[in-house]
Amino acid sequence: MKAIWRIAKATFHEAWRRRFLNGILVFAILIIGSSWTFTYLQPGAELKMLIDTGLGAIRFFGMLIAIFLGVRLIPDELERQTIHTLLAKPVTRVQFMLGKFFGGLATVFTNVALMGITFFIVYAIKAPQFQNAAAEEGPTYSMQFMSANIAKAIGLCFFELAVLLSIAVLASILFSWILASIFSFFIYFVGQMADFLRELASPEHGADPISSIVFNVLYRILPHFEIFDIREKILLDDFVPWGLLRNVTAQAIIYVVVVLMLAYLFFNEREV
Amino acid sequence: MRRSRRHKALILGIVALLIVGSIPLRDHIRYERLVLGIRRPMPLTKIVDFDPTAITGVMIGAILGGFREIAASMLWVKVHTLWNEGKGTWLKCLNLMRAVTLLDPHWIEPWRTTAWHLAYNLYVETEDAEERAILLDKGISVLKEGISWNPEEDTLYVELGWTYFDKLDDYEQAAKWFRSCLQFEHPAYVDRLIAHAYERLPNIPKALDWYDYCLKRNPSDAIAKGAILTIRERYLEAWWLMEAGDYEASLAALERHLAVDPEDTIGLHLCGHIQEQAGNLEEALAAWQKAADNFVLDDLARRKVAELSVALGKPVPPVATHILRERHPEQMAPSRQVPRP
Repeated sequence: MKAIWRIAKATFHEAWRRRFLNGILVFAILIIGSSWTFTYLQPGAELKMLIDTGLGAIRFFGMLIAIFLGVRLIPDELERQTIHTLLAKPVTRVQFMLGKFFGGLATVFTNVALMGITFFIVYAIKAPQFQNAAAEEGPTYSMQFMSANIAKAIGLCFFELAVLLSIAVLASILFSWILASIFSFFIYFVGQMADFLRELASPEHGADPISSIVFNVLYRILPHFEIFDIREKILLDDFVPWGLLRNVTAQAIIYVVVVLMLAYLFFNEREV
Repeated sequence: MRRSRRHKALILGIVALLIVGSIPLRDHIRYERLVLGIRRPMPLTKIVDFDPTAITGVMIGAILGGFREIAASMLWVKVHTLWNEGKGTWLKCLNLMRAVTLLDPHWIEPWRTTAWHLAYNLYVETEDAEERAILLDKGISVLKEGISWNPEEDTLYVELGWTYFDKLDDYEQAAKWFRSCLQFEHPAYVDRLIAHAYERLPNIPKALDWYDYCLKRNPSDAIAKGAILTIRERYLEAWWLMEAGDYEASLAALERHLAVDPEDTIGLHLCGHIQEQAGNLEEALAAWQKAADNFVLDDLARRKVAELSVALGKPVPPVATHILRERHPEQMAPSRQVPRP
């Protein structure tokens, strides 16, 4: 446990020294901080635009951070050959991999937290202004659950990125880091539309039995990233039940465990 | 070696077990999201009859994920530019508009504007009744889909009600959609529009009820006061006599008013309605024809002329709303039964 903790700590500090990650974070904070400037594009729906853009930016830049961080966690150690020093000590491969993953996860967490705090500041300043402006023009809208729902959405975003990070780590063990990045982006993109695979598998849409099986298997295996998106409820200001959050979180944890177990299998086989 | 294999098999077994074991949880989440109405739009499942421009827009939006709304806004700016370029780009515009509604279905403006372009701007660009019927059908379908995405947004109910009222002259459907707004905090003119719709239908008692409702909400509503006085003075007697089955007296009562104002649309509608109730289809046709000639935008009168012409075995003039009702009866209120001669 101590070994995992030490490796995680070192990975976390190292990640914060990576310039490209800091660059993405700074850019993300700038975009989120200025997200209210995009609201003029949808007159009459400014609050909706603010929330969509802010949360969208957190997801998008979080995705970039998780992928680019995840695919470099282990290959960097291999390239620099520092892994030999680590593994020569009483550190097992599983400890090394878990330490790297949790270090990366902590980095993703702090990045999401920073982006989330920035968004909350913008939201706290601009949302009442948009609400007042709307009230002057017509019936006002409710914001009773909005802040809590935004916090829940940011929380779910973190779990989504945890799944993506684990996929990036697995991909980096299997492929070169460039290919691993492409693979992770592809999985993220397809995972956003996992429901579409279900539609494709349906014989109603003309799928033959073999295609139907293939699509069904893919639907079952691929991560469903759309389940982490609760923006619909935020915009309608409906309460997002804790039960749903619990289930989605449980699903994310199961997925991370599965991917890390597979990553361990491949990492164990790999020559270092 | 054997130990290592066993170890691998054990891990793979646990992985398989976790994947299979999590299927019910996954299905439950899917079900929960469906029940709670959290599912985000799935644009690709809706692409059936799109051109490549729209597909590209939707795909880019899907790739952008979180930035769909900005992509939708950018496309919307492009739509305006293209629309102003003129006729050659309208089809492209419609595809782009559709892409925008799929990318950001909770943005009300694209639903409204797309429906308006279809039911109004493109409608007047063609003289062909068949084409007009298609455009009207598409216009109201867009609004209905917009409502299905945004059931808590009163603007689209008003817009749909107004399209039925103003463009299709289907006052029963108009009243129905305006009434849907009552569940929200709504502007006072919506109540009056319901009353106007019943007045034009005509359904005089209901029109009076709704003007009465307007007065209860706002006792200083001068329009409602004036309308109540006008209805009582001009149409109420004729209506009650018609209800009592005394059609001759009813027509005579209405005639006293039409002698003073022979071009009164509501009076002519009521006249046609009474004649229909009395079974005088030829006279009803003449009354509705007069209303149609009197006001070129009176689509209710033109539709009634078409319906009565069918009933009388006469040549049917091409009327877009009549064609629409024949082809898509679900889009319009059922016709008041025209008695056979």
